[in-house]
Amino acid sequence: MGLEFLVRVRRTALISGGLLSLMIATYGRLPLGIAFAAGVAWSLINLFLLEQLIVTLTGADRRETSSWLRAGTSLAGLLLLFAAGAWTLSHLSIRAQLLGFLLPLGVIVLKALSTVTLQSAAWRAITASRWRAAAIVSVLLVAAWWIVPAVLHGARAEDAPDVSTQQAETSHQATAHGEQESGPQKFPSVITVLARAYPEAGWARFLDRNEAIAFALLVAFILCLVCFVATRNPQMIPTPLQNALELVVEGLHNFIAGIIGEKYAPRFVPFLGTLGLYIWLMNLFGLLPFMDSPTSSLNVTFALGLIVFVYAQWIGLRELGPLGYVDHMLGSPRDLTGWLLAPLMLPIHVLGELAKPISLSCRLFGNIFGEDMLLVAFVSLGITCLASLHLPFGLPLQLPFLLLALLTSTLQAAVFMVLSTIYFLLMLPHEDHDHEEAHSHSATPAQAH
Amino acid sequence: MDLHAALSLGLPLGIGIAAIGSGIGLGLIGQGAMQAIGRQPEATAKIQLAMIIIAALAEALTIYAFVTMFLLSGKI
Repeated sequence: MGLEFLVRVRRTALISGGLLSLMIATYGRLPLGIAFAAGVAWSLINLFLLEQLIVTLTGADRRETSSWLRAGTSLAGLLLLFAAGAWTLSHLSIRAQLLGFLLPLGVIVLKALSTVTLQSAAWRAITASRWRAAAIVSVLLVAAWWIVPAVLHGARAEDAPDVSTQQAETSHQATAHGEQESGPQKFPSVITVLARAYPEAGWARFLDRNEAIAFALLVAFILCLVCFVATRNPQMIPTPLQNALELVVEGLHNFIAGIIGEKYAPRFVPFLGTLGLYIWLMNLFGLLPFMDSPTSSLNVTFALGLIVFVYAQWIGLRELGPLGYVDHMLGSPRDLTGWLLAPLMLPIHVLGELAKPISLSCRLFGNIFGEDMLLVAFVSLGITCLASLHLPFGLPLQLPFLLLALLTSTLQAAVFMVLSTIYFLLMLPHEDHDHEEAHSHSATPAQAH
Repeated sequence: MDLHAALSLGLPLGIGIAAIGSGIGLGLIGQGAMQAIGRQPEATAKIQLAMIIIAALAEALTIYAFVTMFLLSGKI
């Protein structure tokens, strides 16, 4: 507990403050987010200057002129800061700034509390057994489940007078819902059924709105659980589950290493393989009854495409360096023709980079969504065929398309993975890539004979 | 012709036209891949991988038309 504690507090407050102000600016209003960020920044700078001042005044070399100079600058900085604070207070929302100002203090309190609890005997007693910790966490979750809605209801009861706006809101939601229903409909999933059963409940509406995210999280959870169970107790002679997973992981490794080269494989296989497995499971998830493919929502696929895009740019910046990255974007000009063509190559490369996430996400979304729609169309066709007989079932016309759906699901996951791998490969330095090509060229005639 | 009529005529036609292009492209890709496999059966795995990637690229164009149709089909 010392200066290092303060440094950690500053880092945590900086990160959480930045994220929170971004969230407020996105989901609330932009000026509120700016005010919050200003509050956090003010508070952090204030803490930093105070720390400098106290360190110089109580340090070992406090008699020397340099420390006096530093104390003077800290004091002047504090005065300037107060002036800036007066200005921002008169121009921005005071409440948001106050919240932002309190954030670093809250971080300090929480950090201090956590250090105190982590060293106490009670904490050690709780964490000694895994099951006891799990039980306490679940009790806390259930308590939060009951308490949070009660608090929210209390808050809502306080500003009950504006019932008219609430009514307007619900009617607006009803019209929005009606519009949604007029569009193409997918098979109902558990969440749709729940939302129909409890149209008034807040949690059901929340789940319905974030259906894709809920299913994506469920798939991720299942994937984590399977991997955890399979690798919990690894053995030389593997259990069936471990064996199956090893087969999958080894296959993915060989597949990706075949494209990107053995040198980079250990670095990128974890990301790319996870991406492929995750997308594959998400695609297949829609084929289960009462489940829905998260990838049949453009939001999910675009998020995945964006991750690949950002990671590819990051790889380019890391591996080529900032100058090499610009050189890559210019088409690596080495002679006069190259430099003459560079102004033409730059927009082509930039547009090509920007098109990658869009084409990745639209391809995945279109295929999975189209597959779902195809199934819906054939199921309804099968029901219409037997409509005159008044039977509780229809002709199973969708069966061949279920097989097709299995194929497209696998293929699209593989395509997403392979294209991401190739985008990464294009960003990596080209020398050994060319070398590999030359190698394979020299190897081809030998293979042909 | 009002917007609804234009959309309900144009959207299916647009998908059809896109599908013609993709179909020709897929046919050429398949032809090339089959010939390559016929010449060099031991390279089947490599050729199939490349074929699938390029087929996905060609097919994506129809999918874009399809996505456009779904985006606009709410307006009919």
